[in-house]
Amino acid sequence: MTPDVADAQTSSEREGTRPGQQSCGGRVPILTTHALTKQFGRIRAVDGLDMEVCRGDIFGFLGPNGAGKTTVIRLALGLIHPTSGYAEVCGHRVPGALQAALRHVGGFVDDPTFYPLMSARRNLRLLGSMTGPVSEERIDEVLDIVALRDRADDRVGGFSHGMKQRLGIAQALLHRPELIVLDEPTSGLDPRGMKDVRELIRELGAAGTTVFLSSHLLHEVEQVCTRAIIINKGRVVVQGPVSALRPKDDAIKVLTGDQGRAAETLKSQFGAAGVTEDEGFLIVKADEDAVPEMVRRLVGDGVEVRAVVPAPEQGLEDFFLELTGTDDANRPAPAKRRAGLARLLPGGRR
Amino acid sequence: MNAPHGSTAAAGERGRAWGPLRREWTKLLFQRRSYLIWGGAVLIPFLIALALYLAKSDPHGGEGPLFLERVTSNGMFVPLAALSALLPFLLPLAAAMVAGYMIAGEAELGTLRIVLLRPTRRGSFILAKWTMAIVYLGVGFALMLVAGLVFGALFFDLKPLVTLSGSTVSVGQGLGLIVLCCLYGLAAMACIVSLALLFSTITDSSLTALIATIVIYIVLQVLIAFSYFDWLRPWVFPNYFLEYVNFFRDPIYWTPILKGLAAFGAWSAGLTFIAYLLFRRKDVLS
Repeated sequence: MTPDVADAQTSSEREGTRPGQQSCGGRVPILTTHALTKQFGRIRAVDGLDMEVCRGDIFGFLGPNGAGKTTVIRLALGLIHPTSGYAEVCGHRVPGALQAALRHVGGFVDDPTFYPLMSARRNLRLLGSMTGPVSEERIDEVLDIVALRDRADDRVGGFSHGMKQRLGIAQALLHRPELIVLDEPTSGLDPRGMKDVRELIRELGAAGTTVFLSSHLLHEVEQVCTRAIIINKGRVVVQGPVSALRPKDDAIKVLTGDQGRAAETLKSQFGAAGVTEDEGFLIVKADEDAVPEMVRRLVGDGVEVRAVVPAPEQGLEDFFLELTGTDDANRPAPAKRRAGLARLLPGGRR
Repeated sequence: MNAPHGSTAAAGERGRAWGPLRREWTKLLFQRRSYLIWGGAVLIPFLIALALYLAKSDPHGGEGPLFLERVTSNGMFVPLAALSALLPFLLPLAAAMVAGYMIAGEAELGTLRIVLLRPTRRGSFILAKWTMAIVYLGVGFALMLVAGLVFGALFFDLKPLVTLSGSTVSVGQGLGLIVLCCLYGLAAMACIVSLALLFSTITDSSLTALIATIVIYIVLQVLIAFSYFDWLRPWVFPNYFLEYVNFFRDPIYWTPILKGLAAFGAWSAGLTFIAYLLFRRKDVLS
């Protein structure tokens, strides 16, 4: 099923996480966007985006490729100029008071890049000096945090992608910023490196630093983030606490000796919309408190009940695909994909 | 936290002012091409001096760069002959290469976006880039001057200098005139630096910025070579490139020199300002 955005909004509203909902409550927002819009020629990359990141959040920023994630980050950090609307970072309006805002921010957009002929230490010294004085001790400290101390004096040109990612995090941490913006920080890292970075993000969050984490890895957001936003086509699809992003539609799978009669009985109890069929099971939208009454009615109607089990919970990944509609759109059907692959393989048919 | 002490605050301000220049200088020193150009600035005077020393007499029958025929009689003319040889093309090429790389090169490398995530004003960023390109070329001129004098002394000896008006000036005064010529050449290169910087803000390819600058420069040179475009000459900067010879008239003929400096100043300031306006609003997508 690939519901359109309107359907997704409806389901998210049911969960209390409406698009654009301002949800910091008593906490201070650290990054907000107000009707932020960016048009590139005829393409509207960001479309009236309202977003709110609260101080202390580990905030997940999700969306399919081309959703406008990087454009939003570039807008918020003043690398590109909005067509309309604005962002507010650490209380400073962007782009108006960009310099004041950037004093409180560390991070990187896309892959972090450095001067290849300079050492890691010299790169950090050079970039760090642009924000303010930075001591050699602090440089050693951040290199320790990302486990690059032993490579501090090596040229960055010889670093692997993963090492550059870690150096990117190190430069983001140099000035102990209030807000750290990381654009896919675990990309290119091995599993150990990914785990380390996620732990680091959690530690930063625990220490009170706000982390804005753009990621394609939904499970990463589920593991690490406290709140998240999903955007698609430059618009907010849903935002709120990560726990609320995962739909908690309770459902029960029922298997009986006569599924037809059982369906009629259950529809009389839960309504026609509350009962569907999937792979031979009847799926009933109900919580477990309704099970005794449900079984009593089925048995009363002479239906043999063979199994009643909870339906598996929908993961954030499924929910993401459902919201953004990217599982089917512009993708070949599995059969077509298999046929295409068969033609590419040696001996494949033409 | 205590308020910063007055002198500490002043030192901080000075640090902030010099910081961007120091950073740009460091970046230049960590580029291999920087040393290639400086190497050329040393090599050209050496080759001129060596070639003329081996040929012993006027090898070009009076043709070739200005002052070339005078080198064999006085080593003081080696840096001037080198300047005459380099100013029409190699120095503009070096200026276009250095300044063309300044912003487009960082965009190409991907460092522009990480640098602009730091609280740096785009105006001071571009001004630091322009200044460092000039300083870099200034070092090139200094190397050419020193190398020219060293090789001139080694091969031909340094003697009092005969001006274009026929009078003679001491070695010290002659050296002063040569330094003035180099400064004039540097001012001329400021136009090329600004033009390349302008293209560097438009494109994300340093090669494109370099080629665009050289094409514009050659077009201007071609235009002023035709008498039909005589009316254009006072307005284009390459027209004044060789006016430094007027330092060797006695007394110095200041009118064309000052006209040249005014043209260089106007072109350089205008082009740099346009570059600033474009860069201020540039969307950094690299």
